Amino acid sequence: MSFTIRYDDNNQELMVAGSMSPQSAGELGELRKTFEKSARAVNGTLYLNVKRLIRLNNIAFHELAGLVTRACQEKPDLKISVVTSSVVGWSARKFSKLARISPNISVEQYDTQFYPGQDVLEDGGFIPILRTQTKMTWRHEREILPRHGLKPGMAVADVCCGIGDFAALIYKEFTPSRLVAIDHAKPSLAYARKVAADFGIKGIEYVYGDASQMLLEDNQFDFVTCRHSLQVFDRPELILKELFRICKPGGRVYITNEKNSHCLGEPRGESIQWTYTEVARLWDHFKMDIELGPKSRRYMMETGFEDIRMESFMVTNLDGDPQDFADVIQAWEDVYAGKMSVERGDSEEFNKKFRQGFQDHIFAALHPKGYAGWPIWVASGRKPA
Amino acid sequence: MSADARLRDGGADFKPLFEIALGVETFASNWAHCDKIATYVARMVSHNRTDSLLYANLFSSALNELLETAFRAHRGGGDLACHVSRSGPVDRIELTIPCDEDLRGFYARAIEESHGNNVAERYVAALLADGTLDPSIGLLELAVDYKARLSLEPGEGNAVRLVADLALEEMPA
Repeated sequence: MSFTIRYDDNNQELMVAGSMSPQSAGELGELRKTFEKSARAVNGTLYLNVKRLIRLNNIAFHELAGLVTRACQEKPDLKISVVTSSVVGWSARKFSKLARISPNISVEQYDTQFYPGQDVLEDGGFIPILRTQTKMTWRHEREILPRHGLKPGMAVADVCCGIGDFAALIYKEFTPSRLVAIDHAKPSLAYARKVAADFGIKGIEYVYGDASQMLLEDNQFDFVTCRHSLQVFDRPELILKELFRICKPGGRVYITNEKNSHCLGEPRGESIQWTYTEVARLWDHFKMDIELGPKSRRYMMETGFEDIRMESFMVTNLDGDPQDFADVIQAWEDVYAGKMSVERGDSEEFNKKFRQGFQDHIFAALHPKGYAGWPIWVASGRKPA
Repeated sequence: MSADARLRDGGADFKPLFEIALGVETFASNWAHCDKIATYVARMVSHNRTDSLLYANLFSSALNELLETAFRAHRGGGDLACHVSRSGPVDRIELTIPCDEDLRGFYARAIEESHGNNVAERYVAALLADGTLDPSIGLLELAVDYKARLSLEPGEGNAVRLVADLALEEMPA
């Protein structure tokens, strides 16, 4: 039995994580002590966070229910909000029983808003554009990945796999011994499984999960990839910590991220640059960092990786069909100007100028003498052996 | 065929997936064996389910409750065996537990209770009750939260065979 329990006074949050299956309630002294202390300390609502509790036997649940019951009796105005996870299949069902104790107890499943732009980015309508993006980046990454340590026969995890097309390409090109692809968007996973079935690919385990609280065990994978994802989380260091955890000692973690303000194009370079600088500000407003790319090295060092390798590449309109590039930019305009800018409450005048930069980028991409680019930063680091 | 139809059909074709057997004294020498066996077996049988990790977590939680029940309610002599077989969406766990007359009665009553109309209320009442935990709580949980079909068969000698049919992929999140 190994679990951790921690009380965060700032958020009035009691976090219980790990596996809790004692033989007797006597083994739960620390839980009892911390719970009682927390319940006494809070004003209003105590948040009981069990999102990362992956095993809870009935002995432990019985003890926890007793603690909750006594806390509600001793402090009648106390509210307890239990936050469960949809990633752990039994969690919401089991904890829902606690709501029977008192009307002051609520149980909610934490399965939306993992990150600020989730509604937009996990929208099933975004799928075609994600495929096009992968097609364009793969031309570069298939050459880059071996430089960062990916070899045939490795155990590989692709975290935040989206629609799973990158995992399918890895599977075909690098024949891993095991390939787990994990994402929190159910429409994307359903699509990934369908594509894999259509193409007769049986070797990829597509699993549902949140990158910051994976059910995967420690030290499982030789190579862990996480592409274009740290930049959408408001706390990327938590994701990196999980990537580090599931990576084998001596294995490597590979991440890609953008610095959108460096998107470029000619002609109409000035308008393009203005718009992408505003894209960065817009993401920042939603607590996402689309400028994270060059910061990858620092994040990896601070997580504890060694032998950090870093490089960048530019996806351009000259990679294959320029229309593909134009389609991606159009999709960005639809999301950034059509949804996020509107949600921020930007003026019509701003929105018009904002949209123009995307249209100018498309113009540059399709112009017979034009050049349009989208830069991406790659970083990888080794987990110390 | 849906899981329900498969469960109604006594002749469903269950193909063996995995079996583990160990002396019941060895099993009962360490409580951690329940968790370790449950985790190991779940990992073995879950890899080709639609979502292998979600499935393994559910399966191991269910099996852990069965094993914890057997840990508390067994008699010495003989092997504790865990056999897992599959028919489409349904996985069948058969747990052979060395018993005596009293324990056979305990398992028979618990299984009967798990088929009762008020099993859900009975489970919640047991969970939230003061004092000692009802030893049949794990079986009640399987019937209520995991929608398991539980049955009991005589095993060899004094043993009983506890059978749990689980259709975990069809459970709502």
